[in-house]
Amino acid sequence: MKAEKEKRKGGILLQVATLFAIGVLATGLITFITQHVRSDANVKLQAEVRSAEIANEVGAAVREYPAYRWLLNYWYEHGEELEIEYDVDYGEGTLTEGKYQSFIGRNPGLQFKYLGKTAISALPEEDQKLYAEIAYTWLIARINQIKEIYHIDYLFCVLTEEPYDQQFFLFSGAEPGAVRGTNYEEIYPLGVVVSVSDSQREAMKSACEHDSHLANAGGYVDYYSFLCSVGEKKALIGLTYSLAGLTEDIDAQTWRGTAFAMVYQITLSLICLVVIYLVVLSPLGKVQKNIRLYKQTKDSEEIAKNLADVDPHNEIGQLSEDVVDLARELDQHIERIGTITAEKERIGAELQLAGRIQASMIPQVFPPFPDRHEFELYALMDPAKEVGGDFYDFFLIDDDHLCLVIADVSGKGIPGALFMMVSEVILRSCAMLGRGAAEILTKTNEGICSNNQAGMFVTVWVGILELSTGKLTAANAGHEYPALKRADGSFELLRDKHGLVIGAMPGVRYREYELQMEPGDKLFVYTDGVPEATAADNSMFGKERMLEALNEDPAASPEQLLGHVRRAVDGFVKEAEQFDDLTMLCVEYKGRKQE
Amino acid sequence: MLNINKTKTNDAVLLSLEGRLDTVTAPLLENELKELLPGTSALTLDFGKLEYISSAGLRVLLSAHKAMAGHGSMELIGVNDTIMEIFEVTGFSEILNIR
Repeated sequence: MKAEKEKRKGGILLQVATLFAIGVLATGLITFITQHVRSDANVKLQAEVRSAEIANEVGAAVREYPAYRWLLNYWYEHGEELEIEYDVDYGEGTLTEGKYQSFIGRNPGLQFKYLGKTAISALPEEDQKLYAEIAYTWLIARINQIKEIYHIDYLFCVLTEEPYDQQFFLFSGAEPGAVRGTNYEEIYPLGVVVSVSDSQREAMKSACEHDSHLANAGGYVDYYSFLCSVGEKKALIGLTYSLAGLTEDIDAQTWRGTAFAMVYQITLSLICLVVIYLVVLSPLGKVQKNIRLYKQTKDSEEIAKNLADVDPHNEIGQLSEDVVDLARELDQHIERIGTITAEKERIGAELQLAGRIQASMIPQVFPPFPDRHEFELYALMDPAKEVGGDFYDFFLIDDDHLCLVIADVSGKGIPGALFMMVSEVILRSCAMLGRGAAEILTKTNEGICSNNQAGMFVTVWVGILELSTGKLTAANAGHEYPALKRADGSFELLRDKHGLVIGAMPGVRYREYELQMEPGDKLFVYTDGVPEATAADNSMFGKERMLEALNEDPAASPEQLLGHVRRAVDGFVKEAEQFDDLTMLCVEYKGRKQE
Repeated sequence: MLNINKTKTNDAVLLSLEGRLDTVTAPLLENELKELLPGTSALTLDFGKLEYISSAGLRVLLSAHKAMAGHGSMELIGVNDTIMEIFEVTGFSEILNIR
């Protein structure tokens, strides 16, 4: 249990940290995805801007020649006749320089670069050809520069016309040292005609209709830009380049953005964790520690002192205050319970003492009169609680008269016991004065009724046995019928004359009756605790079972008889709690032996 | 277990008891009577369904009998043989008005 508790320590911090970690990862993922989507759009936009720029530059290079339409057309129509020097730049000692010198020499005063269409048309055939050759070489030089500056893979200009299924290559840019030709990896020279794929056809058509068209696939950009119309045909600038560089840049930006977002999130999370620890977990741990301390020490003031510095302005502060209050209340309870327990123990001890005093009031030594042989007597009293309301009593009034008493007070416990003591004292006093059985009851009733505030009463059977003759004079104040066994018979209930219970009404006069006991006769008197002993199912022991137990052994002595009844009652009620006092008395008359 | 069924007509009260009137249940009847008695001149107790009465029950009957003696009457009806025997043994049959 303790190990389990230790293991749970720091659980909240771990749980929150896990949540934060998931949050950081989610933020990273979301940032990455949004940046990535945005960068894809970025790439396309940038590619378009860049492509248009390059195409514009190429267009500008072409338009530097005022007669560029004428030139494009001338190159197209006379491509095969021209002797073109490719990829020589503007260098000295080239063939083109010679051509230029000879052109200038023949046409002094002409501004080569600014020749218009009209001026060129006026030139002789041979000079027109020279002009076209020189302009071509110079333009290629310019295109090669552009290609190099912008790292373009392919840069070219083609003529096409509806249905755009062919391209006539006017000029293409090449790296220094590249080979011109129509083989694989060679740069097309002037006049190459190629058939195009469907996608290229669509691209060219779109460029002719909308000025430009960009296709972005497989990390490459294919771009066509409309330059001008040449008769029926359309001149298009085409370029192809890899996006690798651009994509790398943008990818790096995406990663940087993601990393920044995650670092930001992690920092926030750490701050949160520290705040949670300081504001929540640390004081909570303190409260918990003090609860455990209280469990051990039960000292509420100590934990009140320990918890005094927990910030009272939040829930944990309130919790802490509640814990202290609870501990204080618990302390008070423990104290109160201690007092109550001590009180209970005191009452218990007093009750036990009271029980002993009560028991000492009635004769309990058997045989009670060892030197008397006229009778044998045994009695038993078993209170349901520490003190009882039943009692029996017997004593010799004089040498020849034995007084027997059994009584049952209407209440139990302390009130019953007190009432019992009073009744017994009065009864015994009256009896000792030598009164008859009925008179004893009448006097006792008067004594008790004179001051019976509690409205209690007591049933009494009293008998006086004349030992010399066996004559029994008895009176019954509402008590159970005695059971009588003649020497040769069995126990039967004696339905004797009954008077009202003692204490109920003042002025009651009791009547007595006489009974002749012969040697061997036995008389059994009892309280209602015997027939009304109750089993768990609420059934009662009853007088029938009582008589059966008494008749079990006709030769049994009074002591044995009481034992039989007691065992029968115990066997009947079994586990059920004894509810009423159990009191019995049995006397056997033996007669006076002739000596 | 004791059920007390109360029927009141003007100043006459009929209490029907069902079950056992013993140490545990006698206070129920005692409290009931304590409330009723001052305004009642004729009290009838129906014992038709009463199974058992202990000395605690007898005590309640006795105090009710004494209380009613001053200003009215109290009678018991439907008393069965078992309880009648208890009344006879204790002598209560002599003072109670049993019909």
